[in-house]
Amino acid sequence: MERRAFMNDMVRTELEDVVGVENVSVAVSDRMTYGVDYFWIGRMWADRGQVPPMPDWIVRPGSAEEVSKILKIANYYKIPVHIWGGGSGSQGGALPMAGGIMMDMKRMSRLIEIDEVSRTITAEAGMIFQQLEWYANERGYSCQHIPSCLTCGTIGGALGHRGIGIMSTKYGKIDDMCVSMEVVLPNGDIINTLPVPKHAAGPDLNQIFIGSEGTLGVITKATFKLFEQPENRQFRAFLFPDMHSGYMAGRDLMQKVKPSILRFYDEAESGSIIKKILGFEKPGCFMNLAVEGIRRVVDIEMEIILEIARKWGGQDLGSEYGEKWYENRITFFYPGHIMDIPQMFGTMDTVATYANIEKIYWAMKKAVNENFPFVRYISHSSHWYEWGCMNYTRFIVDPKDVPQDPEEAIRLHNQIWNCGVRAAMENGGVINDHHGIGLKLSRLMKEQYGPAMQVMEGLKKSLDPNGILNPYKLGL
Amino acid sequence: MFSEKAKKNADACRFCWMCRHLCPVQLVTGKETNTPRAKGLQVSMLERGMTMDAECARTMYECLLCGACTNDCATGFDPLVFIREARTQANVLDLVPAEVRKVIDRVLETGNIYGAKEPRVDLSGVPETGDTLVWLGECARHSVPETAEALFAVLRKAGVPFAVLKNEPGSGSSLGDLLGFVEDVRAQAQRAGEAIRRSGAKRVIVLDSYDAALMRHEYKDWGVELPEIVTATACVDQLIREGRLSLKQTHEVITYHDGSRLARDLDEHEPARAILKAMGYEIHEMWQNRRLAKCCGSAVAGQYMPDIRLRVAENRWNDVKRTDAKHLTAACPQSTEALAATAPEEYRYTDLFVLVKEHL
Repeated sequence: MERRAFMNDMVRTELEDVVGVENVSVAVSDRMTYGVDYFWIGRMWADRGQVPPMPDWIVRPGSAEEVSKILKIANYYKIPVHIWGGGSGSQGGALPMAGGIMMDMKRMSRLIEIDEVSRTITAEAGMIFQQLEWYANERGYSCQHIPSCLTCGTIGGALGHRGIGIMSTKYGKIDDMCVSMEVVLPNGDIINTLPVPKHAAGPDLNQIFIGSEGTLGVITKATFKLFEQPENRQFRAFLFPDMHSGYMAGRDLMQKVKPSILRFYDEAESGSIIKKILGFEKPGCFMNLAVEGIRRVVDIEMEIILEIARKWGGQDLGSEYGEKWYENRITFFYPGHIMDIPQMFGTMDTVATYANIEKIYWAMKKAVNENFPFVRYISHSSHWYEWGCMNYTRFIVDPKDVPQDPEEAIRLHNQIWNCGVRAAMENGGVINDHHGIGLKLSRLMKEQYGPAMQVMEGLKKSLDPNGILNPYKLGL
Repeated sequence: MFSEKAKKNADACRFCWMCRHLCPVQLVTGKETNTPRAKGLQVSMLERGMTMDAECARTMYECLLCGACTNDCATGFDPLVFIREARTQANVLDLVPAEVRKVIDRVLETGNIYGAKEPRVDLSGVPETGDTLVWLGECARHSVPETAEALFAVLRKAGVPFAVLKNEPGSGSSLGDLLGFVEDVRAQAQRAGEAIRRSGAKRVIVLDSYDAALMRHEYKDWGVELPEIVTATACVDQLIREGRLSLKQTHEVITYHDGSRLARDLDEHEPARAILKAMGYEIHEMWQNRRLAKCCGSAVAGQYMPDIRLRVAENRWNDVKRTDAKHLTAACPQSTEALAATAPEEYRYTDLFVLVKEHL
């Protein structure tokens, strides 16, 4: 429905009435800042001087009740609502592609409770995750959700895209860590998931909203597990002769011990990033892991790890490499250390069983290299399970090969993505492991799910009949 | 429009999200524009054809220039460079918010942000020339004179003769924060340098860390030669270590707030702690301490965005509440101005120099 003449001003007044005049903005410079997140296309678009996608109103709610009122207004006028946490998502998930309301959640950043008896922590969803982690650290605990976006993303953002941290192999993904949530439904109803996530009272509501990327509701509060800080953490690095031996060593490790960190790099990434950061020059496939917890247990776990690594031909490189990596783990993500405009780049992370993961690695590499010979392709596996692991596969196009015309650049970008992700899906991989779908992969969701997509479409239709929440995302 | 240095920093920061969790203003306003990334993006877009609007100008002033973001950057980029230059641009384009304009006018007219003509500090009997000059800064002179008078008492007790300028000019610190490092600021620095030279001082004890940071880092580049610059905390710590001050002992638990410019620009953390320990205090640290300390709000910000400065100071008190200390201290007059006025019930704030005076 088109809004003409002074209709936007009428809506603005209603929004201001909910959150206060100071928490609504329509200034161009303010709105423009919400048109760029970590998504390569948004960044390139801005870099080339194009006008970014902009919302019509920025609204900063201070409570779930205010979120509820905003959604009721949006539903009445059928105005799109986009939800912004830290804005650090790489998939364009928060970009206001349909205009309308941009709900910036960062005012909702209060710590609600630390329950030391139950070992849980509860906070509002607009809190930057690093703040939550610091609150836990002050009491001697950790949430153990330590992603590279720890300092950038909010609680709601981590939940919304089903995020993961570097310690996931021991402590789990965000969906394993979340105990319960408060969610505002598109119709404005404020609901709570059950107090605990393990029960036999039907499907876990948490898992309906975790990963829903703001398309089914607005997460306003969440409770997470707390872990005691480990008494001891030990690193070890290995050099495996090839990809196969590394994957198989990782699989065997996961049957017997629970490393907190397990990162296995293909030869291309071993030879570039690791060499650059660690000064390491030997060929092969590098693995860097950590085990942690009670010292006595860790010692035994490390013995088992050494045995398994030997079995698969892994050369023991000691603890120094891992310790250096850990010290530098965030440095990778600062400007000048990571890929940036004018390069074109992307992370095509996928996850699969051990039976398929190596096949996927080679299939994606072949597909990308054959179709786009100018593309560099590197990969590592940094999150492992009993049944399989993920590949964190990155493609990089040097500036000379990136079209100058921004629309041509978008086409090339999307073609590379289609090629790589389809190769993964055709070989048993999942469309994405932990960055989410957003705008970037929305078009491929139906290919991934097939008829199963109707389950999500049904949820969307039932919960958000006017389709106001985060249009064009998640294939919904 | 912007210098190459500013453009380079803005282009680096515009797509980087890493330091946003540290911005004390963003933490209380929740505004995306109160992040270094958003400010960098806006500056980069100004260089790509966007026109600065009034809200963009206001955004650039919603920053305490505390340097938490700069300190965090593993690469060494500095958002303060382009934020200061954006303020210069806002002034050129006549887009400076009215409340900021008033403060600028006061500084240009009187040399201080308060528009005060006479200092509130009791300077009777204090000479204006001598080997050691105490540089007070505008906040101690006009807003929290007890900090200056406490420092005087400490110096007298230690037998340190000192001079103070009755008409101490502005150092350029506040104007530099308000306008960027423009010619007017350099002119203020020249006048300050000339006043110091006329005092005959061989050493300057600087009470306000904002002034100390500017003098130490910028004056030389602006051709202003100064004698030795010593922070008041380093000076008092030295006097204690030399055995020139005998201090009454306590066993009280206290927490210490690291002022932004003292902790980050001057990289000074330990002298204040050493002073507290010399009095027997047991320091229970806030989680964000030393270079990671959360800013409590500058005096300049207190003049043009008092509501945000109030909330920033209250947020620092929230950090105090999560320690088991009921008593907070800090060593910069600007911290004292912000924190003393916002102490919650059952909590106490005492300026570090006032504390030392009480223990003489």
